[in-house]
Amino acid sequence: MTESNGVVIRIEDLHKSFGALDVLRGVDLNVARGEVVVILGPSGSGKSTLLRCVNLLEKPTAGDIWFEDTRVTDPATDVNKIREQVGMVFQSFNLFPHLSAKHNVMLAQRKVLKRTKEQAERIALEHLGKVGLADRVDYMPAQLSGGQQQRVAIARALAMDPHVMLFDEATSALDPELVRGVLDVMRALAQAGMTMIVVTHEMGFARDVADRAIFMDEGAIVEEGTPEQLFDDPQHERTKDFLGHII
Amino acid sequence: MTMRTQGALVRLVRSTLLFAMVLALLLPMIAASPAEALTVDSVTARSNQIGGNEVMGGRPVRVTWIGTVGPSESIESVVINLPDGVSPLLGDDASRRSEKLGGQPVSQDDQGSDQYSRVDVQVTSGSNRIEEDVTWVIDNERATVTFGKPVETGHKIQISVVNLVFPDADASYALTGSYTDDTGATRTFDSRAMQPIKVVARPPVEKLTDWLSDQPWVQQWNSFPVCQTFFKPQTAVSSVPALFVGWLRSLGLVLLGFPLAIPIGLAFSFLRMSKLAVLRFIASIYVNVIRGTPLFLQIYIIIFGLPMLGVNVDNYLLGIFVLAFNSSAYLAEIFRAGIQSIHKGQFEASASLGMNGAQTMFSVIIPQTVRRIIPTATSEFILLYKDTSLLAAVGVMELMMFSKSIVATSIDMTPYVVAAGYYLLVTLPLTKIIAAFEKKLAAAEGHTDEPPGKKKKRARRGSSGDSTAEDSHQENALQAAASAVGARGTGHAAGGEGS
Repeated sequence: MTESNGVVIRIEDLHKSFGALDVLRGVDLNVARGEVVVILGPSGSGKSTLLRCVNLLEKPTAGDIWFEDTRVTDPATDVNKIREQVGMVFQSFNLFPHLSAKHNVMLAQRKVLKRTKEQAERIALEHLGKVGLADRVDYMPAQLSGGQQQRVAIARALAMDPHVMLFDEATSALDPELVRGVLDVMRALAQAGMTMIVVTHEMGFARDVADRAIFMDEGAIVEEGTPEQLFDDPQHERTKDFLGHII
Repeated sequence: MTMRTQGALVRLVRSTLLFAMVLALLLPMIAASPAEALTVDSVTARSNQIGGNEVMGGRPVRVTWIGTVGPSESIESVVINLPDGVSPLLGDDASRRSEKLGGQPVSQDDQGSDQYSRVDVQVTSGSNRIEEDVTWVIDNERATVTFGKPVETGHKIQISVVNLVFPDADASYALTGSYTDDTGATRTFDSRAMQPIKVVARPPVEKLTDWLSDQPWVQQWNSFPVCQTFFKPQTAVSSVPALFVGWLRSLGLVLLGFPLAIPIGLAFSFLRMSKLAVLRFIASIYVNVIRGTPLFLQIYIIIFGLPMLGVNVDNYLLGIFVLAFNSSAYLAEIFRAGIQSIHKGQFEASASLGMNGAQTMFSVIIPQTVRRIIPTATSEFILLYKDTSLLAAVGVMELMMFSKSIVATSIDMTPYVVAAGYYLLVTLPLTKIIAAFEKKLAAAEGHTDEPPGKKKKRARRGSSGDSTAEDSHQENALQAAASAVGARGTGHAAGGEGS
C-alpha cells in the first residue's frame, strides 16, 4: 500500500528512550524510492538512533516504522528478512577481522541468501571492483586503510542487493585524505538510483548529493528541505546556530 | 695345609666308629650313588641393578653357592672354579685370602662395599648357624674354601664369592668345582643341570654412568657437595631414561584432562552468560568454588573420598577427572572473557546483514574468540601440566612420583632436577609459541598494513594512520581475557575475580 506512492520507508511518531533519557521524541519521516536523504544535527541529537531503529538494531519505544509493505515494528515481523534488504554502513566499519575482504563480502550471501560459493564470489568481486578494490580482494581488514575498509563494508552491504542503504557517519572515523574515496563511492551509488539515508557531517557531500536534507536536534526533526533551502536559508535559530558552527 | 690334614685325621678317627655302625644300613644307597656325598642346592648371582635371576655384566656381583653335605660325609674343603672370562677383583695381587680364621657371616648390606673380591662362608644346620674356622683364597682361576673342622652330614654350606665381574655380554654361566671329604677323596660337582646364572650386557646408560664414574672431571665435580647433591652426572644420566615413562604419564594426564575440560568449560561459560539468573547462579558457584579452593585440596577430597563411597576407580583415571573439572572452571572464565571481548559492532554488522544468532555465533564470533583465547588457553594448559605433579601426593604414578622413587635410592636431588628438565621440555616451547602467536594475532587484528604474502609484519602501534576505535578495544579485550587466567597465575586461592 505504501509502494503505490513510492515510499520505501515510513516512520510515524517514533519514540526511543534509553532509561530516563529520551533520545527520539516523535519523529515522522518518509523516504521515497531512489531518494537520498541526508540527516544533519549535533551529536546526541538522535540521528544515529533514528537510523538504527530502521533495521531494529535499536528497538523503538513507541511509534511505527514501515519498510515497503511490512510493518517493521510489528513483533511478528521477521527482523532478519528486513535487515537483508536494508544495508547498513557503520562509522567503525565493523568488518570481520578474521576474513579477507572477499570473504567479508561473501559471508552473508552464503549464509543468508544461500548463494553458491561461485555466485557469492562472483558478486563479491563485482562489488569490490565497483568500490575500487579489485586489487585488494584477498587482503585482510587489518592490511587495509580505514577508507579501504569502509569501501569493503559498503561492498558487503551492497552484495545483499538491499533496497535501502543506511550510512551512519560512514566517514567520521576516517583521516581527511581517505574520506574522498568513500564519498565518491557513495555519490556513485546515489547517482545509480539507490535509496539512501545518510547521517553525515560532510556538508559538501550533502549539498551535492542529497535530494532532501533534514536537521535534527534533541530527538526531533527541526527543519527539512532541499539542501539549498537548508544550507542557504535556514529558518530555525538552532539550524542557523548549528550550520554557523560547522561551516 | 698341615692344619687341614691334622683336622682331617682327628675327624677321621672320631667318625670311624660311627661309620662302622651305619655302614651296613647305608651300604645299598652308597653303592647306588657313590658320588652323591654333596648336593649342590643352588647357585645364584645378585647385584643391585637387575632383579630376578639376572645380573649385569661388567659390574661386580655376588655369586652364592649353596650345597648340602650328603649322608655319612664330612666336607673339608670346597673349590669353586670361576668360569671362563669371569674375573675377581684382586687389585695388584695374584690372589686374595682370608686374613684371619673364622667364617665371615654373609651380610646383605656389605655387598659390594669392598672394592676387592672376598668370600663369605656360612654353615648352617637347620636354622642354627654353625661356627666354623674357615680359610679362603681366591685367585683368577678359583675360590677355595677350607673348613677348620669338616662340615658334617646334613649341614648346609653357603659360599658367597663377592665382587666377581662377568664379561659384559649376554650369556649364561654354570659353576663347576670340587670338594674334598675327610678321607681326602676329591669329587667334582657341576651345577650345569641347575638354573644357570644369567648375565646381561650393560645397557648403554650403565656403560655411560660407569664411564662417567671413571672420569676425573666427574670426580672433581662430585667432590663439591652442592654439585653432587643437585646434579650428580651419573644420576642425571640414569634418571633421563628412568623418568621417561613418568614424563609420558604426566603428559597423558594433561593431554586427556585438558581436552575433557574444554567442553565442560564451554558449557559453563554459556551458563554464565545465560539469560536465566538461576543458570548464571549455578555456573557462578561452580566456577568460584573451584577457582577459590586449592587444587591440592580438591585432589584429596576426590581421591580419598570416592573410595569411601565404595567407588573404586583407578587413581590415574580419577586424577584425569579432577584435573579436567578443575581446569574447566578456569576455561569457563577464559571462554566467557573471549566471547565478551568481541566488539558489539561485530554482532551489529552480522545482524545488519540479516544473519541470525547461530550464524553470527559460528561464522563471526567463535572464530574470532578462538584466535583470541588460544594464548590464554595455552597458558592454562601449561599451568595444568605443572599441576599434574600435585597428584604425586596421592600416589598417582607420574613424573614427580617417578622422581621420588629414584631419589630414594640415589640419595641426591638430581632426579628432581632432571624432572624439572622434563617439565621445561613442554612448558618452554609452549611459552615461546604463545608469545609468537600473540605477536601474530596483534598483527592480524589491526596493527599492520602490509600486503598479504609478506611474512614479516611490522607492528604499527601508535601511528595516527587508520587505527580505529576497534584497535584499542581489541587490546583491552585481550588483556581482559589474559586477566581471567591471571587469577590462577597468582595462586589457586585467588578465585574471586570475575564473579
